[in-house]
Amino acid sequence: MNKFIYRVLHLVLLYFLLSSTIACATETTSISKLPDPDTLHYQPDRFIPPLAQRVVIDNGIILYIFEDHELPIVNISAVIRTGSNYDPIRKEGLAELTATAMRTGGTNSMSATAVDEALDFFAGSISVSMNRDSGSFNLSVLKKDLDEGLNIFSQVLTNPAFEQNKIRLAKDLKIEEVRRVADDPQKLAFREFKKLLYDNTPAGRFPTIASIKNIQRDDLVQFYNMFYYPGNLMIAVTGDISKQEAINKIKEHFGSWNKANVHYDIPHIPTKSKGHIYFLSKNIPQSIIITAQFAPGKRDLDAYPFEVLDFIVGSGGFRSLIFREVRNNLGLAYSTGSFYTKKSEYGVFGAYAVVKSEATVKALSLIRSVIKDLRNSMIDKKEIERAIKSINNNFIFSFLSAKQIAYQQLMIEYEHLPRDYLAAYRDNIAQVSAKDVQRIAVKYLSADESVTLIVGNEETYKQMLTTFKNVLRVESKL
Amino acid sequence: MMSKSFVGILTHAILFTLMFISIPSAVISYELEKMVFSYTLNNGLIVLMMERHLSPTVSFYIRHRVGAIDEEDGRTGTAHLLEHMMFKGTKTIGTKNYKKEDRILRLIAKTGENLDAERMKGKYADKNKIESLTKQMTLLQKEHKKLFVENEIDRLYTENGADHMNANTGLDLTTYHVSLPSNRIELWARIEADRMTNPVFREFYSERNVIMEERKQRVDSDPRGQLYEQFLATAYVAHPYRRPILGWPSDLQFLSIVYTADFFKKYYAPNNTVIAIVGDIDPAKTIRIVNKYFGSIPRRNLNSAPITEELPQKGERRVNILADANPKLIIAYHKPAMPDFDDYVFDVIECILSRGRTSRFYKSLVEEQAIAESIQTTNGVPGAKYSNLFVISAKPRYPHTSAEVEMSINNELEDLKSKTVSDRDLDKAKNQLRTDFIRSLESNTGLANMLSYFEIITGDYRYITNHIKIIEKVTPEDIMRVAKKYLLPENRTVANLIDKN
Repeated sequence: MNKFIYRVLHLVLLYFLLSSTIACATETTSISKLPDPDTLHYQPDRFIPPLAQRVVIDNGIILYIFEDHELPIVNISAVIRTGSNYDPIRKEGLAELTATAMRTGGTNSMSATAVDEALDFFAGSISVSMNRDSGSFNLSVLKKDLDEGLNIFSQVLTNPAFEQNKIRLAKDLKIEEVRRVADDPQKLAFREFKKLLYDNTPAGRFPTIASIKNIQRDDLVQFYNMFYYPGNLMIAVTGDISKQEAINKIKEHFGSWNKANVHYDIPHIPTKSKGHIYFLSKNIPQSIIITAQFAPGKRDLDAYPFEVLDFIVGSGGFRSLIFREVRNNLGLAYSTGSFYTKKSEYGVFGAYAVVKSEATVKALSLIRSVIKDLRNSMIDKKEIERAIKSINNNFIFSFLSAKQIAYQQLMIEYEHLPRDYLAAYRDNIAQVSAKDVQRIAVKYLSADESVTLIVGNEETYKQMLTTFKNVLRVESKL
Repeated sequence: MMSKSFVGILTHAILFTLMFISIPSAVISYELEKMVFSYTLNNGLIVLMMERHLSPTVSFYIRHRVGAIDEEDGRTGTAHLLEHMMFKGTKTIGTKNYKKEDRILRLIAKTGENLDAERMKGKYADKNKIESLTKQMTLLQKEHKKLFVENEIDRLYTENGADHMNANTGLDLTTYHVSLPSNRIELWARIEADRMTNPVFREFYSERNVIMEERKQRVDSDPRGQLYEQFLATAYVAHPYRRPILGWPSDLQFLSIVYTADFFKKYYAPNNTVIAIVGDIDPAKTIRIVNKYFGSIPRRNLNSAPITEELPQKGERRVNILADANPKLIIAYHKPAMPDFDDYVFDVIECILSRGRTSRFYKSLVEEQAIAESIQTTNGVPGAKYSNLFVISAKPRYPHTSAEVEMSINNELEDLKSKTVSDRDLDKAKNQLRTDFIRSLESNTGLANMLSYFEIITGDYRYITNHIKIIEKVTPEDIMRVAKKYLLPENRTVANLIDKN
């Protein structure tokens, strides 16, 4: 009640303020007097990244808490150190199926149907997502439903029942999803590309119809036992809940969960690739071009100049080099640009374009020459300054919600990044020079290591052969 | 120019001191209404503002009441191409010498129009003429390139940290949105007011090519795009909701710069526009900035052309698309648009049929019969301003067929007509809608999006806050009545994606 009264007073004050200022708000500007948008004056930005509170409870679970009482919603995310990189060979899909069946297969105290009924009735949601090197379970409930929601959430994580019929359903739905991958040319292209880049190592293996069929309930239980225990879990609690209440609730629902740590080997991801151009045939009126190679990871200081490089090459909007060449100047594509995805230990940098078939060779050559130029000549100092300004001004958008703030800090610890990673981020970007960018381009962007995949029609294949030697055909196996 | 008296119309902000009583769950909806400041500038521009300080950022949404339905036949795709052109700069943004530029741009437009006129003749076109005009065009474009700087609007925004910067075109409306650090409100006003008044259509013809690629990517290469396009063209016979926003390909290749400029002048008027600003703002200061930049844009007469009405459907329509893809199915029924009461009833039906794992469709088709991979319903396709469709879309699970899925869907719909929905099912749906509403308030962009959307579509953003109150009134009898009235075979369109292999 108090907080509402506060708001009422606040608004009344504001109203008077407005009514007294409205009279002077009569000035309008005509076009001849418009100020130069580059010289507008702004109040200085004194943004300091807000910090979530970190607490460790007795059984080893690490909590990150950030309060935000504006809306009566509580969000809880549990992050587990696991991932589909841990899928056993010929059982690809196990990590994901385990998480799905935990959510949908009931708990030892509630049947699957009862879980679904309860959540749907109060419109609470528990969603799961499985990445290559982490898994997360997310609860979102209204404050009034927190106890009931949290009870189910904790049971899903600590006491899953893995009902047989829900495992069958999860498997069948996954099989249908795999059957449909090729319906979406872009999805197909990225899946096949990763297989080639990671070359049959864990990150390059995908669920197939056969691998899913191979997975049985025992596999799920075993996978669960290996990865789901308190020492392998971090939780972010955010929203309409106080710090103490958050600690108490997590202790109440997870405090008695005691399960020893399990040793498992972390899968090795190679960070070198053998460059080649591959071709996958699909009868579409465009070509999808993806070309990429390994780049520095987040813990490497080279990541900062690399981020600036990526911004200038193809992710910095309309002005970026690839966008300008391929889309703006020549109108060859609607979607084109670059990407730089970073894990803690390694990164991947690449470029993509969805181009008209007859321009496939041209677009690929353009992209390659943009990247080659980075090695051969230094980027204009002004462009570097622009990129730095853009990245650093945009930084505050990583702190939009309580959920984002706490989750982000949790992931910094998860990825073993320095504690001051966020606080130091802007300074690290600001220090990047044109020389640095060229240095890392030379260091990482070798044409012999770039893996290129073209998905396109047979005409395009013939066209490719006239320009590029050794285009290797690949087939997609689902 | 000074406008005579800027009277901000503060529609509501004072009444609530008395109304303030703690009502469970409904409190939020009343509260939102009081947090929104609504103004109408002298030129008719509506500004909605809301203060929120968690993050030092602010989200802006500008919506114009114009979309693909406002295009003439033969000019489909214009509203969307115009949206792309709005990123090409203004008379003061992106130019090196506007006077010189203007001269060349006129020549480019003339040459382009002549070139299109010749190309339109198809096999009777004069090849020599096309060749010489094309050459001339290339030269002019080369000359023009010396006189402007590309993508300056994007640069200004990006350098200043912009997030979520984009625009989109719908059938009913066109939207420009961006979020900025909250100390940069003036930059947004400077750019947006300028492009709403003085846009310059640079690179028109190469952008037209980009959009042809966009169409190829979204439709020709994507079977889902083809299915959706044919589905709409089948469900609507007369009303312009039948057209693709991207435009029919043959229209697209001849879209005219002159027509696009006229289209802009006709519809991008302040009195046809709503702005929502949500975030770390001081409303008093913000409205002063908005008025300073947008206040002098002259109001225009809005004589929009009549929109062809759809006739009542008198028999089932079916369309098949053969493609290199697994089967997919769309079933749709015509129904009234918001704020008709029956539209609210469909919001409830949507929840009952397909919201969550305990919804009727999921339980029956996905879990029990195991014939579908997924099934969704959407109320209010493809637009919201004119009577629209209640859409069911499903993917059958191999080896089951779309026909089996269709039959089961029909059985579930029959149940709605013959059996009363239980109180628990109805309560569940209402809980879901209530919670959706609260969740929709979580982000600044989401809020700015909603406020501007409902204001432009229904003429009053309070549709959002009243929505739940009206939903509360929906009874099991309403659901049965609505099902019986609209979910009829003769009111149905069925579109099938069929694997041609």
